[in-house]
Amino acid sequence: MSDLLKSLQEAILTIDEETALKVTQELLDSGMEPEEILESGMTEALLELGRRWNCGEAFLPEVVAAAGIFERCSAIVEPALMAKADRKVSDKAIIATVKGDLHDLGKNIVGAMMKTVGLEVHDLGKNVPTEKIIEAVKELQPKLIGLSALLTTTMPEQENVIKALEEAGLRSAVKVMVGGAPVTQEWADRIGADGYAPNAPEAVRVALELTQVAA
Amino acid sequence: MTPEAPSIRSLPRTLQADALTPAALEAVHAQTLTVLEEVGVGVGGEAMCRALADAGAEVDLSTKRVRFPAGMIEKALERSPRTYVLAARVPEFDLAIDGQHSYLAVDGCAAEILDHETGERRPSTKQDLAMAMRLADALPEIGILWQPMSARDMPRKSQSLHELHAQFANSGKHIQMMTAVTPEVARGVVEIARVVAGGSEALRRRPIISAFECSLSPLMYEDGALEAAQVYAEAGVPCGFVVMPISCATGPATAAGTLVQSNAEILAGITALQVLVPGAATFYGCCATVMDLRSGAAACGGPEDLYLQMAAAQLARNYGVPSSIGTFATGSKIPDWQAGVENGLSGFASVLAGADLMCGAGLLFGARVYSLAEMVLDAEIFNLLHYLTDKSAMSLSDSIAQVIESVGPGGHYLSDKHTLQNMRQQWMPKLFDRLSWEDWESAGQPGPQELANERVRSLLSTHEPPPLDDGVEDEILRIIDAFERGDGGNEDE
Ligand code: B12
Repeated sequence: MSDLLKSLQEAILTIDEETALKVTQELLDSGMEPEEILESGMTEALLELGRRWNCGEAFLPEVVAAAGIFERCSAIVEPALMAKADRKVSDKAIIATVKGDLHDLGKNIVGAMMKTVGLEVHDLGKNVPTEKIIEAVKELQPKLIGLSALLTTTMPEQENVIKALEEAGLRSAVKVMVGGAPVTQEWADRIGADGYAPNAPEAVRVALELTQVAA
Repeated sequence: MTPEAPSIRSLPRTLQADALTPAALEAVHAQTLTVLEEVGVGVGGEAMCRALADAGAEVDLSTKRVRFPAGMIEKALERSPRTYVLAARVPEFDLAIDGQHSYLAVDGCAAEILDHETGERRPSTKQDLAMAMRLADALPEIGILWQPMSARDMPRKSQSLHELHAQFANSGKHIQMMTAVTPEVARGVVEIARVVAGGSEALRRRPIISAFECSLSPLMYEDGALEAAQVYAEAGVPCGFVVMPISCATGPATAAGTLVQSNAEILAGITALQVLVPGAATFYGCCATVMDLRSGAAACGGPEDLYLQMAAAQLARNYGVPSSIGTFATGSKIPDWQAGVENGLSGFASVLAGADLMCGAGLLFGARVYSLAEMVLDAEIFNLLHYLTDKSAMSLSDSIAQVIESVGPGGHYLSDKHTLQNMRQQWMPKLFDRLSWEDWESAGQPGPQELANERVRSLLSTHEPPPLDDGVEDEILRIIDAFERGDGGNEDE
């Protein structure tokens, strides 16, 4: 691996945004393929951070910060990537906290962790109306939707989203994964969701499983 | 109104410790004013923004950012009453919020209950809530009722009103609403409280309920929170502001940093309320904790929490506003060693800090699971602290030298007259194990949870809460029904 690629990884792992952005640009200028920067540099660093997090060496704030740097580095390589016809596309996922619910910490963490396994995550935010989710599904055609609800009073919104997907004829095109403190596997089964996870690492596992099945 | 309601146990304010030095307190206050003046607070409603602008705040309507000048905050604090009464449906349960007593609330609001009969963790129902209220009604340590868990089997729209119904029907104590956070639901709550209190004037004179609103940390009041506070205050219902920031996630990484942000959010809420309803009874609430760095979950129960409890209560004392301090919020999943340590220290911290309201008893797993066993265990901790703060039990009688002399070196006090006269002053635990080893074995080696479950069963099998007046329950149900059909919760019916 080139030294520059290594220092890109290092910069992401140490949350040094300035260096990460600079090195990404340098790599691109040096003529390296954008896919390689993305995969061997940026994604590899996030995967490593995920591994460190799993064994207790890295903490969540680092993962979330690194995922942010990843996104801004992506913006640098993206134009070059889009210019290529034979580009490999990563699986898209949408995540949102449902309508009426302002709790977004858990959703943010799940989103950041999903990025560490190479999913292209679109975060719609919190208190997101069902219609907005449907619109986003139409526009982005993701393989997966992750819905977060932290209140017993907003959990039914998860069911509403699933119903709306059915009504819009989109249900079979996308997998739905639900979560949030009061949500259980039983609830997920009852409302016809495809997956449930009680925490972020498990959410990542389920997300991968669901997107691979969908592939 | 008696200063101390006889049937509710309160902690007299006899011990006090300050977490912040005078210089530190001054620094926190100064930095808070800087935050309020320069950063400001996000306020959702446009009408609310305009009202605050008229009162002197600097408002940017395009970003809905409200910046508060120091003078506005000071004026609001002057307007906030230092003392008031939180009345109860049963007048003997009235609470004097007078800066001299601490009261314990039932904590809330869990989504699940740890069933004391089956040991199973399951979604909570209105029936569970009713049972918890009956238990709380029986415990003299409990002064205030939050909604301990959600009535998840009820329609979503009227869930809070069903919770209030179950509370009024099963206890005569003061109720504090934590789940009715939109103006519509707040109006429904007020309507029900008026029926129980005997009319709008009766409720204003004797507020048998109070409420609080939460900020959306960092620094936001969104989605009708301030508007709901206004509904309560206009009806004469005390309404406080309780913040729940999590260090490293929704609050700065240091405990002191989270304290400054919390202070800013609470003062912003109180200031807005005093602009809308000058002189409204309010309180200063803080339930701050840290994020667990691995899972991202709210940790609940660590030393940072203790510091924040103490420092927040001290700030409230200093501002002359009653405080409501997050207490007994163990992160443990069952009533075990961890729960005992965390809640024992947490209770002590709130007592030392001079918290007016301690919220509260019975939650496990960082406020996500309710346990009736934990409620009686927390009440037992409160009881222990009651003994410690009750100076009369510890005071020295002048004649003790004579008593010691009469027994003399080498004698014993076992059957001494003084012992027989005074031994009942000793604290008698209900749930701490002091059995002999043999007795403990033959009792099946009960742990705290078993002992507590036993007490829960025995209290529930005997306690009858004071009934509601004839016709009141029907009227409550009628209001809920109208609310569900969509014609309730309207402005000034
Ligand atoms: C922080 C917090 C808030 C903050 C939220 C800030 C924010 N930006 O998110 C504030 C103060 C705004 C808030 C407000 C309220 N809150 Co609140 N809040 C909490 C608290 C303390 C922590 C939640 C949290 O962030 N946890 C940390 C994250 C990392 O955990 P998590 O969200 O569970 O996410 C993990 C998993 O669930 C899972 N996951 C999450 N989402 C998803 C999605 C998918 C797809 C998957 C697969 C997995 C997954 O993975 C995550 C990572 O491991 C909880 C209590 C608790 N201990 O959980 C109460 C709690 C959720 N709140 C509660 C209440 C009642 C409220 C209010 C009504 C209070 C009020 N009186 O104003 C309001 C409602 C506002 C609204 N409309 O949403 C109750 C809910 C009760 C109930 N029965 O429903 C709780 C349980 C506290 C309590 N006991 O009272 N709250």
